[in-house]
Amino acid sequence: MSAPAPAIELRSISKTYHDGVPTPVLFDINLRVMPGEFAAVVGASGSGKTTLLNIIGLLDTPTEGEVWLGGRNVAQLTDLERSNLRRDYLGFIFQFHYLLPEFNVLENTLMPCRLRGKIYRDRREGDMAELLRQVGLGERLTYRPSQLSGGQQQRVAIVRALANDPVIILADEPTGNLDSVNGKAVFNLMRELNRLTHKAFLIVTHDEAFAREADRAVHIRDGRIINGNDE
Amino acid sequence: MWDYFSWSVAVRNLRHNTRQSLLTVGIVSTSVTLIIFLTALISGLERRLLTNVTDAIAHIIIRPTERLPIPAWKLPSIKQADVLYVGETIKLEQRKRKIEEWPTWLSRLENYDPEVLAVSPVVEGQGILSRGEKRKGVLVTGVIPERHNLVVDLQSKLVRGRFFGLNAGEVTLGWKLAEEFALQLGDKVRLVSSDDMAASYTVAGIFDSGFGAVDSSTVFLPLRDAQSMFGLGTAVTSIGLKLDHIFEADNIAGRLAMQVPYEARSWMQDNQSLLSGLRAQSQSSDLIVVFTTVAAGLGIAAILVMVVVSKLRELGILKAMGATRGQILAVFAIQGTLLAVIGGIVGSAAGVALCLFLSRFRSAASVTGRLVETFPMNLTVGIVAQAIFIALAVGFAASLYPAWRAARVNAIEVIRST
Repeated sequence: MSAPAPAIELRSISKTYHDGVPTPVLFDINLRVMPGEFAAVVGASGSGKTTLLNIIGLLDTPTEGEVWLGGRNVAQLTDLERSNLRRDYLGFIFQFHYLLPEFNVLENTLMPCRLRGKIYRDRREGDMAELLRQVGLGERLTYRPSQLSGGQQQRVAIVRALANDPVIILADEPTGNLDSVNGKAVFNLMRELNRLTHKAFLIVTHDEAFAREADRAVHIRDGRIINGNDE
Repeated sequence: MWDYFSWSVAVRNLRHNTRQSLLTVGIVSTSVTLIIFLTALISGLERRLLTNVTDAIAHIIIRPTERLPIPAWKLPSIKQADVLYVGETIKLEQRKRKIEEWPTWLSRLENYDPEVLAVSPVVEGQGILSRGEKRKGVLVTGVIPERHNLVVDLQSKLVRGRFFGLNAGEVTLGWKLAEEFALQLGDKVRLVSSDDMAASYTVAGIFDSGFGAVDSSTVFLPLRDAQSMFGLGTAVTSIGLKLDHIFEADNIAGRLAMQVPYEARSWMQDNQSLLSGLRAQSQSSDLIVVFTTVAAGLGIAAILVMVVVSKLRELGILKAMGATRGQILAVFAIQGTLLAVIGGIVGSAAGVALCLFLSRFRSAASVTGRLVETFPMNLTVGIVAQAIFIALAVGFAASLYPAWRAARVNAIEVIRST
């Protein structure tokens, strides 16, 4: 039996920013994340970990190397195909929740579904309400984001990342804006959802404690993976 | 592009940000009201000016061609040897400018073109009006009142007395003239023609045409009286025509001039300054519409730009989630257009109501108590449709820049800048 295709595969990724002077940020990164894996990318501020996540999330392009998502080389995709891949294959969690104030909790989690049309959105409504119940927000489906605490808002953002039933969820410092208790709760929630839904999680964090609880921790320093480079 | 996502997000944004939405609708509707009010008023003023002029005169006047001076070297040879001496004058046979066979022409002109509504034979000449010691040069106009009234309506503008059924020896004159000579109905006046024929007349009617020159110096009398005053026999000096559409006058006069042995002048040739004045007025009205439109457009654009700037992070996240540029662009284009539609409807309702309200006011136009509309509104479906169309176009156009800015949001930059 052959091994399943990696959810993410990075092949010799390098990135150099050209803001006046060339600033190299990433050097020869090779990384594979398998479906259902719970991986953490750990590094200090400025180590290049967020740039790496943006490249994986198709928000940025590498200077060299190839990004493969679900067995497809993303360099060959059109703008529209990249948008659709972000919408259907990836889920995003950011340090700030960025929930839309005009929509209630349930509607916010359904926002990625809305991008795919009304029929799909209506079909997913029950699932998202159930997920919100599972994360303890069952009583707050019709609340506005402003009526929730910071930890609750981030939980809504996590559920939103699962809306389109993505293969992998990318999280950029998801606990960075929370106190330690709420941060721990949010981390545990992601871990729990990983077990329940078998979605792959790739979490960028500077918190070693969280990294230790992941299936795998990839350490990155000065733009290079110092352990776990999948060559 | 105009999909479920864009529509639902746009509509929700508008409903949620009530104050912003109301402010924008307020700007658009005020502009639409202003456009409707000003366009209807300016167009009404134009119409009144034009009507004042074209109601007071014949639209085309047919009269014998004026004889131009003939240079000496082109004169017919009268003396022997074709010699003309300096200081010598030649007395050419005097010929009155008149139309003898006018009854034939009347029926021909009446059937000339469907545009011709009425035809009236006229005798015009200079005369002196006198009463006691007072004298004044006037335009003596002989007409068949019932027929002439179809070309120039005087009957409805009578202040006192009558115009229809003028008998021999009776005149109807303008109110300013009557005031100047302190004339009442039944008073006697004396008219001396330029041919030195004099007769006494009884004032049978006084009118207020609304046209100062006519009211202060025109005396109407029966055609036959005028014919004898100017020694014309049965001839007339001109024929006046009234048209269905006043701006056809040049065209019809041009055609007539080639088909009748007389000169045919349209009112447009004689009122060039009025027409150019009206054109300038119409252009200034267009300018007002343009500036109002631009102001409304900038208002909408400014508010939408504010909305975009305040939503940069949410927009970044939506793009990260997979919203396409087209979808984001559509959210704001829809918002701008919807605001303009609502503003257009509210503004037109207010504009129409304002015009209808103001058009009820009347004020006296002269001392005779003749009433005219204080605000002469010419409100048409076209004006309202134009204002709504402008609002729509402006709303859509004004939303394009903010929408384009929103669509260009770089997800990483806005997320990173937090």
